[in-house]
Amino acid sequence: MDMLTLILVIFLGGAIVTWLGNKLNSVLGDLLFLAAVIVPSGLFISGITVGSVTTLNALGLTLTWGLSPLSYLFSLVVVGLAILLAIYSVPFMNGKDKKGAFYFNFTLSIMSMLGILVSKDWISFFIFWEIMTWSSYLMVILNGKEVQKVGIKYFVFSAIGAYAMLMAMVIMNSQLGSFMLADTFNNFQQMSGTYQILIPLLLLVAFGVKSALMPLHVWAPGAYSNAPMAYTSVFSGALSKMGIYGMILVMVTMINQLPEGTLIRDIIAWLGGFTAAAATLWAITQDDGKKLLAWSSVGQMGYIIVGVAIGTPLAMLAALFLVVVHAMFKGSLFMVVGAIEKQTGTTDFREINGLIRKMPWTFISALLSIIALAGIPPLAGFVSKWMLYEALIQNNNYILVILLFFASTAGFLYCYKFLHGYFLGQEEPEWDHVKEAPVGMVIPMLLLALGTFVLGTFPQLLFNPIDNALQYVGYDATGGLLWTDSVLFSQWGNVVTLQPILYAIISVFVFFAIFLFVKGKKGKTRYVSTKDISTSGEIPKEWENLTFKVNFFQPFERAIEPFLKRQIDKYYNAFGNGLEALFEFTRRVYTGNGQTYAIYAILFLALLLLFRVNLFG
Amino acid sequence: MATFVLAFIVGMTYGGIVRKITARVHNRMGPPFYQNFIDAFKLYSKTSAIHHGAMHFLGPAFLMVSSIVSLMIVPVLIPGGDSWYNSWFTNMNASGDLIFLIYIMVFGSLGLALGAGQTGNPNSSIGVTRGLSQMVGFEIPWVMALVALMISYKTTSIVDFINIQQETGTWLMFSHPLAFITAILAMLGMFRYSPFDIVGAPTELASGPVSENGGKFLFTMMSSGSVFAFVKLTLFVDLFMGGAENLVILVVKTFALYMIPVLYGIVSPRYRTEQAVRFFWGWPTFIGLLAILYAVIF
Amino acid sequence: MYNDKNSQKIVDIIQNWARKHSIWVLAYGTGCGAIEIAPTMTSRYDAERLGIRGAATPRQADVLLVTGYLTVKTVKRVVRVYEQMQSPKYIIGFGSCTINGGMYYDSYNTINLLDKYIPVDVYINGCMPRPEAVIQGFVKLQQLIAEGKANGAQKYLDNLEWYKANQAKIAPKWIAKAPDYNW
Repeated sequence: MDMLTLILVIFLGGAIVTWLGNKLNSVLGDLLFLAAVIVPSGLFISGITVGSVTTLNALGLTLTWGLSPLSYLFSLVVVGLAILLAIYSVPFMNGKDKKGAFYFNFTLSIMSMLGILVSKDWISFFIFWEIMTWSSYLMVILNGKEVQKVGIKYFVFSAIGAYAMLMAMVIMNSQLGSFMLADTFNNFQQMSGTYQILIPLLLLVAFGVKSALMPLHVWAPGAYSNAPMAYTSVFSGALSKMGIYGMILVMVTMINQLPEGTLIRDIIAWLGGFTAAAATLWAITQDDGKKLLAWSSVGQMGYIIVGVAIGTPLAMLAALFLVVVHAMFKGSLFMVVGAIEKQTGTTDFREINGLIRKMPWTFISALLSIIALAGIPPLAGFVSKWMLYEALIQNNNYILVILLFFASTAGFLYCYKFLHGYFLGQEEPEWDHVKEAPVGMVIPMLLLALGTFVLGTFPQLLFNPIDNALQYVGYDATGGLLWTDSVLFSQWGNVVTLQPILYAIISVFVFFAIFLFVKGKKGKTRYVSTKDISTSGEIPKEWENLTFKVNFFQPFERAIEPFLKRQIDKYYNAFGNGLEALFEFTRRVYTGNGQTYAIYAILFLALLLLFRVNLFG
Repeated sequence: MATFVLAFIVGMTYGGIVRKITARVHNRMGPPFYQNFIDAFKLYSKTSAIHHGAMHFLGPAFLMVSSIVSLMIVPVLIPGGDSWYNSWFTNMNASGDLIFLIYIMVFGSLGLALGAGQTGNPNSSIGVTRGLSQMVGFEIPWVMALVALMISYKTTSIVDFINIQQETGTWLMFSHPLAFITAILAMLGMFRYSPFDIVGAPTELASGPVSENGGKFLFTMMSSGSVFAFVKLTLFVDLFMGGAENLVILVVKTFALYMIPVLYGIVSPRYRTEQAVRFFWGWPTFIGLLAILYAVIF
Repeated sequence: MYNDKNSQKIVDIIQNWARKHSIWVLAYGTGCGAIEIAPTMTSRYDAERLGIRGAATPRQADVLLVTGYLTVKTVKRVVRVYEQMQSPKYIIGFGSCTINGGMYYDSYNTINLLDKYIPVDVYINGCMPRPEAVIQGFVKLQQLIAEGKANGAQKYLDNLEWYKANQAKIAPKWIAKAPDYNW
C-alpha cells in the first residue's frame, strides 16, 4: 500500500496502540504517543508529493485520496502543530488521569484532519469530517466539568453542519451521478436552478459551523475553554481551518458560477466582519484566559472569512497568510495558558498575579504572540492585516474596512488584559512558589512565537506555497502582484519594506534599553518588590490587596453596554425552550391510562372508515 | 538623526509655548518657553534608585521605538524640495505607508502599558485601561477620515498625498472638508489634552501610567511625548495642509494646527472615559461617514 | 552629584542651574498651611514663572513641601514619602509649626522641630506665610541650590542613625517594621 494510506493507517493504529500501552505503563504510553504522531508526520512531510493520487476500494466504495496544492498549505499547519503539540502534551498531561483517552483522541484528530485534506471524493471527506467531530467532542468532555451543556451544544451544532453536508452530498450524487469533488465542481452548472443555490448554502452552513461564523459560533467559547489546553491549540489552530478549507473550495468553484454569487459573497463578508467586531468586544469582557482566547479565535476567523469571501487575489493571499500565522500565535497562546494552568492550578485573571519574574520564558512567548495577534509590526500579524486592508480598500468595501479597523483596535484591549492578568501587576505571596514550566512545554511555545517573528520580516517564505494554492483554485499566477524579498507591494504601488524597518526598530530599542540601563547602573539602581510603590506614604502590609483585576475595563463595558445586552445565545436558548415546551405539550399523548389508548384506537378506526374511499380507492 | 533632533527641539519648544499660552489665558505670566528643556535636563540628572524589574526598563524603550520609527516614516519636508538641508530629513519616507503608521503608533502605548504594569501600582493599570478605551474611541473617526482620503486618491502612501497637493495646488483641507473636520475631532483625542486627559491627569489618578517613573524614565517618556506630538502634527500637515517646503513653513503650519486642541483644551473640563468613548462614536463618526460618502460620490 | 565642597565643577554649575529653574513640588498638605499653596500656584501669585509646578507622586518630585503642624501619625508618612523621592531632593518647612511647634507647641502629639526627623533646607516663617513669603522661600532655595549648599539629602544619608533614633523615639513600632528606604 502506498504512502498516504500507510500514513493514515499508522495514525489510526498508533491511536489504538497508545491507548492500550497507556493502560500498561504510563511512560510507554508517552513514548508510543510521540511515535504515533511524529513518525507519520515525518513521513508525510518527506514522502508525499503534491498531485499524486491514490485509490482505495473498500466496502464497495471507491475512495480517492491525493494532495492538492491548497491542501498542502493547510497540511503544513496541521502537521506543524501536531508535532509541536505532541512534544508539548507529554509534560502537560504528566500526572493527569485520562491520559490514554487524550492521546487516542489527539491522534485521531490529526489523522482525520489530514484525511479531510487529502480526500478527493465526498464520501471520504464526510467520513473524516465525522471522525474529526466526534474525536474533538470526546476531547471537550474529557475533563468532565460543565460537560452536559457545553458538549451537547458543540455536538448539536456540528451535527447540524454534518447533516447539511450529507444532504448536499446526496443531492449532488443524485443529480450528477458521482461523488468526486472535481466532478461536482466542474459539472456544477448541470444541476437545476434551485439546487444550484441550495447546495452551496448547505455546504456553507456545514463549514460555517466549524469555523465559528456568526450566528453559528455559540459552541465555540465553551468548547475551546473546556478542552484540555494542549488540545485547544490544535482545536483552534487547525480544526477551525478545516472549515476555511471547505469554504474556499465552495466559494471559488460553486459560488463563482452563480449569478447571485456576488450577493452571497457580500453577505458572508459582512457576517465575517461582524463576527470579528462582535467577538472582539465579547473577548474584552471575559475574566478567564481560556474564554478570552476562545472569543479571540472566533474573531480572527472572522478576519479570514472576510478575506475568503471578498475573493480578489490580494484578499485570498491575506486570508491564507493569516491562516498560517493565526495557527502559530494562537497555538502558542493556548500553550501559554496551559503552562500557567499546570503551574498555578487556575486560569482566572482575578486570582493570578505577577508571574512575570517567575515564568520569564512563558512571558516572552506570550508577549511575542500577543504582539502578533494585535497586528503590530514587525511581527507577522501586521503583514496579513496590511494585505487585508489594502485588498478591501481596492475592492471598495469601505465600511467593512472600518469595521475591521475597529475590531483590530479593540483587540489591543484584550491583548493588554491577557498580559496584565497573568504576568503584570502586583506580586502576591500566594504565588511565590510558582516556577517556570518544564522545558518540553516552553520550547514549542518559543518556537511558534519566534516563527511569527521570522515570518514578519521574511513573508516571502510563505508566498510560494500560497501562490501554488491560489493557482490551483483558478487564480492567475501571483494574481499580478510581485513578491520579492521582504517587501510588501500592492496594486497601487504602495510599499512597506520590512527589513530596514525591522533593523531600525531593533537598533532604536537596543539603544534606549542600554541608555536606561547603563545610566541606572551608575547610581546603583536596585530591584524592589511591587509592594514598594508610592501609596501616599503608607507602607502596604503583606495581606493588603493592591491588585486591580476585577472590572478591568469597566468604563469601556459601560460604553458598549447596549451591545452586551444582546446575545445570540439567548435566541438559541429561547428557540430550544420553545421546542421543549412544544414537546412537553405533545408528550401528553401518553397518558398511561388504558382507556385513553382504547379511545385512540377507536378514533383511528373511525377515521379510516370515514376516508376509506380516498385511501383505498 | 537630524530629524530626531529637530523633532525633539520643536516638540519641547511647543510644550513650553503651550504652557505660556495657557498661563496667559489664565491671566498670569507663565514659565519661559524653554522651560521644558530645563525640566528634561533636570530629570536626566536625577538618580533612579529603584526599579521594578526588566520590563520597567524596556517599557520606555518601546515608547521611544514607536516615536522614532514613526518619525522616520513621516516625511518631514517635501522630498525633492529646494532647500539645502532637504536631504538631511528624508529618512525612510518611501518605506512605509499610512496603515503601517497607524499600527506603529500603537506599539508605543503597548510598551508604556507593559512598563506601567510591572510596577504594580494600581493607578498605572487603571490609567492604561482608560487610555486604551479612549483609543478605541478616537481611532474610529480617525480611520474614517483616512479611508475617505485613501478612496479618493487610491493610494496609501503619504508622499503621494503631498505630491497630489503639490500638483493640484489646493490643500486637501479645502477639497475634503468633511474628512478634515473628522480628523481634527479625532486629533483632540490623540493629543490627550482636555477634555480627554483623564489618562494621565495628576489630580485624577496620580498621573496614571507614569506614576512610578522618575528620573531618566520620566525623561524618556517626556521626550517621547513631545516627539510624538511633533510626528502627529507633521502627519496632519502633510495630509491636509500640503506639506512644507522648508522648516520655517513647517513650524508655522504645525503651530497653527497645534493651537486647535490646545486652545480648546484650556477651557474644557474633563470627560469620563465612557463619555469620551461615546462622544467619539457619536458626531465624529457621523461626520466621518459623510466624508466617506463624499469621497465615494465625488 | 552632591556638592558639599565650596568649589564646583562646570558640570555641577550647569546641573544646579537646571535644578534651580525647574522645581517640582510635592505639596504635602499636613496642616493649615496647605491653604496657602493654592494661591501661590495659581494666577495671582504665579509660581510657575519660576519653573515651579506640582508633581503627582513622590517619585517625580524634587521638593517636599511640609506645610503646617505634624502629628506623630503624619510624621511617619512624611518620612516614608521623603524616602521614596529620588535624589537630589530638598525639603521646605512651611509655617511656624515646623520650626518650633508654633501654636501647638505644648500639644501631646505634635512634634516641635521638624529638623530632628528629616533634614530641612529652608524654613518659611509665618502662621500662615503669605504667598509672597512662600515665593521668597523658594527663591532662597534656588540660591542655596546654585551655591551648592542645599544638600539635605546627603545630610540624611550621613547621619542616618541619628535621624532614625529620633524617629524611633516618637514612633518605635513603626520604625521597627519599616522597609529599607530607596533613594
